[in-house]
Amino acid sequence: MKNKVLFVVTIVVVFLLGLLASSIINRKSEAKYKYVPNVEIGKNEPRNAEWGKNYPREYQSYMQTADTSFSSYQGGSATVDMLEEDPRMVVLWAGYAFSKDYNQGRGHFYAIDDLQNSLRTAAPENKEDGPMPATCWACKGPDVPRLMDEHGVGEFYAGTWAENVSEVVNPIGCADCHDPGNMKLRITRPALVEAFQAMGKDINNSTHQEMRSLVCAQCHVEYYFNKEKPGHEGTNYLTFPWENGFAVEDMEKYYDDIGFSDWTHAISKAPMLKAQHPDYEIFLTGVHADRGVSCADCHMPYKSEGGQKFTDHHLQSPLNNVANSCQVCHREESAKLIANVYDRQRKANENRIKLEDVLVKAHVEAGKAWDLGATEAQMKDILMSIRHAQWRWDYTAASHGASFHSPVEIGRVLGSGLAEAQEARVMLVRLLADLGHNEPVAMPDISTKAKAQKYIGLDMEKLRAEKEKFKTNTLPKWLEEAKEREAKMGSKKVVSAAK
Amino acid sequence: MKSNFKILPEKGSSWRTFAVVAIACILGMGFFLVREAEVVSYLSDNPQACVNCHVMTPVYNSWMHSSHREWVSCNGCHVPQDNIFNSYYFKAKDGLYHSAVFTARMEPDVITMREASEEVVQNNCIRCHIQQVTEVKYDGWIENHKENRTDRACWSCHQEVPHGRIHGLSTVKYNIAPLPTDQAEMVIPEWLAKEMEAQ
Repeated sequence: MKNKVLFVVTIVVVFLLGLLASSIINRKSEAKYKYVPNVEIGKNEPRNAEWGKNYPREYQSYMQTADTSFSSYQGGSATVDMLEEDPRMVVLWAGYAFSKDYNQGRGHFYAIDDLQNSLRTAAPENKEDGPMPATCWACKGPDVPRLMDEHGVGEFYAGTWAENVSEVVNPIGCADCHDPGNMKLRITRPALVEAFQAMGKDINNSTHQEMRSLVCAQCHVEYYFNKEKPGHEGTNYLTFPWENGFAVEDMEKYYDDIGFSDWTHAISKAPMLKAQHPDYEIFLTGVHADRGVSCADCHMPYKSEGGQKFTDHHLQSPLNNVANSCQVCHREESAKLIANVYDRQRKANENRIKLEDVLVKAHVEAGKAWDLGATEAQMKDILMSIRHAQWRWDYTAASHGASFHSPVEIGRVLGSGLAEAQEARVMLVRLLADLGHNEPVAMPDISTKAKAQKYIGLDMEKLRAEKEKFKTNTLPKWLEEAKEREAKMGSKKVVSAAK
Repeated sequence: MKSNFKILPEKGSSWRTFAVVAIACILGMGFFLVREAEVVSYLSDNPQACVNCHVMTPVYNSWMHSSHREWVSCNGCHVPQDNIFNSYYFKAKDGLYHSAVFTARMEPDVITMREASEEVVQNNCIRCHIQQVTEVKYDGWIENHKENRTDRACWSCHQEVPHGRIHGLSTVKYNIAPLPTDQAEMVIPEWLAKEMEAQ
């Protein structure tokens, strides 16, 4: 009898355990299936609107990057003609395309438009024409990983800018940072993966919180085009100079060691470096990074709308959204917090402008020395000092958020830049005196952008006319090609499993 | 087997083999459940353990976006921190209650704390913020300063700390919160991984 009872009890226990097991498995898989998508997103889907069908809130907030109404003391989402605001830059970049045209960028939504409209990309007449390589597109949108997958990374970089006008048409968006299968953050740009390899790190070991900055670091970093990469000689291969570290001196040493220069200055003949936008590197030296804050914490804060909580994909200056960004941690009035930011930026700018003035003088004086018959041997050290000083200036200036992200580091870099630039001028004064010119060198009038551009010999009328021609004749044709190509892509509706 | 209660039938009984198999079944199923329910993870302090169950996703996400993230995770507030025995005792008690409610599908749309839990959280607020609630220089000359600061629940005023104002289960539309931190997977797409290997 006892055994029969045991038999029945065992049956009941195993049955109940089975029920419990099935319940646990069911409820676990609920988490996976709770989200039923509207459309299937392909592995390289570049069209942001297609992703938006599944993620309407994120997409709509992303579309707000089209808003250009916010301006802060030195940032915001409006177009600002930086050369008009500060014509010294025209002289500092003489001989380089940045002296033609340099605007503060608008939101991600305009990444493609702004590049098409820039005078820097000039006016190619056919797909093999024009000064810029395909590499200039590398950060502009999710078509780039698509093309890299289709043709190969090196093959993409080897192309021209012009032949990709009809290919890269979707602005920076979803596929740049997200895995279409599960929306996890992902890295799609080889340059960041390679930079990690160069530093002996594996990017796959990054935590989620690090990824919330690293997806930004795919582009918001200092970079250069390496033409000597083994296996890709002659190609403009996008590379981050991080092998020695992130500090201004580390990257300077990297460039000096490989003898790299972006261009030769038109006036001083110095072998110059152009800093791009080392936002991520400088951010890492600041106190917010030290406290574990990521880019997304302030630039994409959490938001609630209609009873839903989600990450705000309206990437913008946190100063336009202090309540959700700064005030999550800082319990101060919004006006006070903004004043604190501007205070840091103003102080950094004071010295940045001083350094620019000294650098302009150094370039003009070096030009004078060449005119008076200086030799290369006499100029060598002077030009190196100019190179290093302007690199330091650009490192602080090109990263628009730098003076807030890390004010102390920016103060340090500007200080060393000033010392280096003055060192160049001391050597120049001595050299000029040796050459028989023992008096101040006459400085040009560069009070406006137009005057400065005329001084360095740019024919702006011609450049603008060519660009207009490109925009009315060539560009619409190429964009039409893109439209035809994308029309064939279609949309794959998911059939609901419940039916 | 010397104990009075013999679970196995006598040697030689025809039931003996069956009993061994039956007990093994129950144990095996038990181990399967332990694995499937990731029971071991609940011994840790890792907030990921709490989102094993997807109803915790909204609170996990709001904590992840709050300033408390840098200092304290789920257990730091919701489990007593006075001694290790009390910690695990309370955690086990609370956890079993949660799992019972969840298995029976009785979870409410807006989860609120029970009284025992409120006390634990309040004590944990004070544990870190003791200086703010018992300012020595005020204690000396404001009557009942300490009591005034400690008798109310902190969140009767600080309503948004740290989970925000919206607490419903459906506040996070896509339940993908715990997945991004899964480190077993690559953060680069397959085609890129292949390219990198080829170099």
